[in-house]
Amino acid sequence: MHLIPIALLFFCCVQTSASVQDSGFRLRNHQDQQNSIASLARAHSANVSVETIASSRGEREISVLRLTGSDEAPGRPAILLVANLEGTRVFSSALALNHAWKLAEEYATEDGVRAFLDSTVLYILPRANPDAAEARFIRPLFERLSSGHGIDDDRDGRQGEDPPSDVDGDGFITQIRLEDPEGEWIADPTDARILIKADRSKGERGQWKLHTEGRDLDGDERVAEDAALNARVERNFPAGWKEHDGSAGLFPGDEPEVRGLIEFILAHPEIAMVVIYDAIDNLVETPKGIEDEARSVKLVPPSGVRESDAKYLKELGKRYREGTGSEAKSSSGDDAGSFQRWCYEFRGLWTLASVLWDMPIEAPPEEPDAGEDTPQGDAEGDIAEEAAAEGEEGDAAENQLEQEDENEKSKEPEPSVDAKRLRWVDAVDPARFDPWEAFEHPELGSVQIGGFAPFARFEPPADAWEELAGEHLEYVVSLGDKLARISFAECTREELGEGVWRVTAVLENGGLLPFLSRSARNTRSTRPGRLQLELPDGATLLGGRVQSLVSEIEGSGGRHETTWLVLAPEKLADGIRVVFDSDHAGQAQATPKVKP
Amino acid sequence: MILGIAAALLLAFPRQTDEGFPGLAAGRNPRVEIPWNRLYDYPEIYAHLDRLVAAWPELLSHQVIGHSVEGREMRVYTLNDPSTGAHDEKPAMWVDGNVHGNEVQGGEAVVYLAWYLLENYGSNERVTELLKRSSFYLLPMVNPDGRASWFNDAHSASSSRSGVKPLDRDRDGLFDEDGPDDLDGDGNIVQMRKFVPGRGTHRLNQDDPRVMERVPSNDKGIRGDWIILGREGVDNDGDGRINEDGLGGYDMNRAWPSLWMPDHIQYGAGPYPLYWPETRSIARFLYGHTNVAAVQSFHNAGGMILRGPGAETYGSYPRADVRVYDEIAKDGEKMLPFYRYMIIWKDLYSVFGGFSTWTYEGLGIISFTNELWVGSRNSPDGRLEGEPRHFFDDHMLMGAGFVDWKSYDHPLYGEIEIGGFRKDVYRVPPSFLIEEMLHRNALFCIRHAETMPQVEIEEAEISDLGGGVYAVDVRFRNGSLIPTRTALAGSKKIGIPDRFTLAGDGLEILAGGFRSDRFRPERIELAEHEPAHLLREAGIGGRDEVRVRWIVRGRGPAKIRFEAEKALNQERNTQVP
Repeated sequence: MHLIPIALLFFCCVQTSASVQDSGFRLRNHQDQQNSIASLARAHSANVSVETIASSRGEREISVLRLTGSDEAPGRPAILLVANLEGTRVFSSALALNHAWKLAEEYATEDGVRAFLDSTVLYILPRANPDAAEARFIRPLFERLSSGHGIDDDRDGRQGEDPPSDVDGDGFITQIRLEDPEGEWIADPTDARILIKADRSKGERGQWKLHTEGRDLDGDERVAEDAALNARVERNFPAGWKEHDGSAGLFPGDEPEVRGLIEFILAHPEIAMVVIYDAIDNLVETPKGIEDEARSVKLVPPSGVRESDAKYLKELGKRYREGTGSEAKSSSGDDAGSFQRWCYEFRGLWTLASVLWDMPIEAPPEEPDAGEDTPQGDAEGDIAEEAAAEGEEGDAAENQLEQEDENEKSKEPEPSVDAKRLRWVDAVDPARFDPWEAFEHPELGSVQIGGFAPFARFEPPADAWEELAGEHLEYVVSLGDKLARISFAECTREELGEGVWRVTAVLENGGLLPFLSRSARNTRSTRPGRLQLELPDGATLLGGRVQSLVSEIEGSGGRHETTWLVLAPEKLADGIRVVFDSDHAGQAQATPKVKP
Repeated sequence: MILGIAAALLLAFPRQTDEGFPGLAAGRNPRVEIPWNRLYDYPEIYAHLDRLVAAWPELLSHQVIGHSVEGREMRVYTLNDPSTGAHDEKPAMWVDGNVHGNEVQGGEAVVYLAWYLLENYGSNERVTELLKRSSFYLLPMVNPDGRASWFNDAHSASSSRSGVKPLDRDRDGLFDEDGPDDLDGDGNIVQMRKFVPGRGTHRLNQDDPRVMERVPSNDKGIRGDWIILGREGVDNDGDGRINEDGLGGYDMNRAWPSLWMPDHIQYGAGPYPLYWPETRSIARFLYGHTNVAAVQSFHNAGGMILRGPGAETYGSYPRADVRVYDEIAKDGEKMLPFYRYMIIWKDLYSVFGGFSTWTYEGLGIISFTNELWVGSRNSPDGRLEGEPRHFFDDHMLMGAGFVDWKSYDHPLYGEIEIGGFRKDVYRVPPSFLIEEMLHRNALFCIRHAETMPQVEIEEAEISDLGGGVYAVDVRFRNGSLIPTRTALAGSKKIGIPDRFTLAGDGLEILAGGFRSDRFRPERIELAEHEPAHLLREAGIGGRDEVRVRWIVRGRGPAKIRFEAEKALNQERNTQVP
């Protein structure tokens, strides 16, 4: 089997004070990544700093980069970008780190980047799960998900005695299949390289057994069923945590990565939004909301995105799809114990999650050679759009044809998703599938070993990286002005009679998003805004509250008005102040102007 | 000279401590004298336990498992007779108290339990036997900071429940800035009331003006002259509310991993399970001591023997475990007058993330929470029923439990009166009833501990099956009520299954399995692999046995072995044939 090309180092050509070695866009093992982070912070110390938030069980430090404009105003809202929670999503950490380099380098030259960082703090945690991710860089190559607390999977009184292993010594841990009437699998009728579950109700008899590649070291006729570690970072957060499930860990927050991330968020109330690059998507397939006032069942509220928050997610998802063209969805619907679910359901944070890329299920259309390298222009764009539109129509027509075909010869079997993926693999990068090869297994006898190459499903082809990174960075930068930002739209005092003033302050939200998500209001997890009236000595409050807490200010210009009645001689009235502060949406103060 | 004779007499006659202190009154002389008619602050609790360690260094020792928020030691005292095995090889009972800082007497109850067992070790056969076959992990104060504050600062009976990590309970950006205030500086947090002639909700009892009565709401035009203004305090942060953000403001008995819910669903739960250092150190200890087979966590008050589930949504506990719970608790109801056996969510209120629900649902241990002290004990036959609380206070405490109403000039309310019951009445017994409460609850723990699993391997039966093949039949008997693995532990696959092993140099073990029928030896669940080494997720039930049959070829001596997390391992030799 060949090295898959994406495993090769890939350099991008950015001119920078740091060396290309440090700033290059490529998959990095832990040490390499830490070097790059340190180098970035050195090269751009005015805008970038680094904090270590935890050390993994494997003693790898988890670093968070902090990027912001040079002169920092207090109360600046923050976005936290977290990548690589699942060990397989190493590409997402390369992309996140690439964002950090790009932003730091472009701060001086790009207006959009400067405006974003001057108004927003961006925290980037490129690799939330360094232990599992490190498997990407060692041989044999294996898609490792677990990094923590181990259990005795097969309940034989021994733990970790029968782990997956590279039985055929080709440097990859893939799959083993063997023909066996006790098996539950059959070959996909359209592509025998892929196995699908036999449906006995349709008269399909199982023909194959399918295992993760490994030995049967404990002689229990099960293969690779008891690895040393079980807990997964993405299952160990408190929301929906599954007690007594090995992958969920011993207790929520037991895994050091998880606790470190939770504590980081608790320590940074200025974080208003979380963006996740990992295995869960809510931007391509935006969630259907549940009622804002959905009733608890036996005291436990239902899980899901509240309707009024879902509307905003839908809008942000639409803009994401428009900006990136991404169609990559979550690979499973299971979000129990995930970071994403905890952030939204228990902390009320706006949480956007993208899987960045998924393996296509069609071979790419053959493109005409011309036009590929021509510089972009309006005309070119138009042509491209037209072509795209035509393409869509063409596809639609084709689909219709296909459907008719299917109706006519309904016996024609539909390929499984994996079989469709192989179409793309065959056309673009055949090394992503390790062909089944016969092997004499020490315990199982004659078997075949093969399957998708490790990580083949999660890493886009190298020539697509730059574009993907550019589109995603642009999207992240565009989120800055979506955050709630509160200022005083009006602040006046009106004299009702001698020395009696009606003071009015109107707060306004300049962002797209409401001041607090519905979930934040339900969970009471974010501190509300605090509005205070400050009176000079000698002035008296006749009506209103010295201090009030504000939770609701709609987005897109939503307002919140407060009035007070104050007794103050004219010369003292100048000293009246109205002060607003929040953790995540800015601070403001105003001196009421006399209303004629 | 006289002193010399006295000393000589003391040396000449063995002290009576050899007879122990079993609860009988005449001629008993404990080795360590502890007055059981008072409550002790944090350092005194450890000082008493350290005296016990000094007197019985071979049986009692302590380790520091962590520190509280304010840096106080979290000490677990281990009680064990090491001559019969290390503490962690035996089934152990965990007993703690005082997770709520104001629920202090759990601490004394833990000390009493240690003291009682030590004083009677060697003289009382059952106590001696108990310490030979099991051990105890005793943590007197889960919340030492809350306890220290309750003793040393002005408090009411119900304040200082929380730990002391500052929390912004009213979400104004300030932490713990507006708790109750001891306005008159008398060391008590009591009530405030104000005289508002004709505009109030309450009136003074005609016979006893200390007592407030709510004025009935009807058309007869009766009006009250008084209003109640809550607990003693002022609006420290000027936000228009009084006493809304005091010390801490969380609940360490809502912090445990099983069915944990965040603060907006379960008040006081904190940001994630085991967030506070006190809870985390205890959890680490218990995850690391899988030999714990019984749990008691002392609270106050109300006279309850509580078990989970804490919330309806959990469903119900497996029937077999409920039978165990019921049997122990029914004895408890007889040992603890006025106490009732209750299911937390059904009979009390819903609790998510409670401690004793976690030790059962998460760790698979039969666990109780006793709510120590119940006011009806002040008048056992009920003849004070309907009387104001003052009768008992006036006549049995000479009025010491009540702070008389006094006038005070409040910055917001103007002229008010401050008065009410002190912190050490209502949730804790009067001094002369403390010892009874401690003894009864400690002995309930002992009853619970005595039911921890105890397995015996009975003599093997060897049958000649012909052709040099023999059957080895062995019965493994658990004589105690608690199974070696609770039904929950078995179904949730908690910990390690029990292991049943046969080994012999001259033997080839052909097959083995658990017999499901006493009379039909062929009814056997054959192990598919490793017949010499059988595993059983369900363990051995309470007062039940597991029958194993091994089919072997050959002859010679053989060793039968039983291993379990929550029972002493056993070994027995036999001979084939």
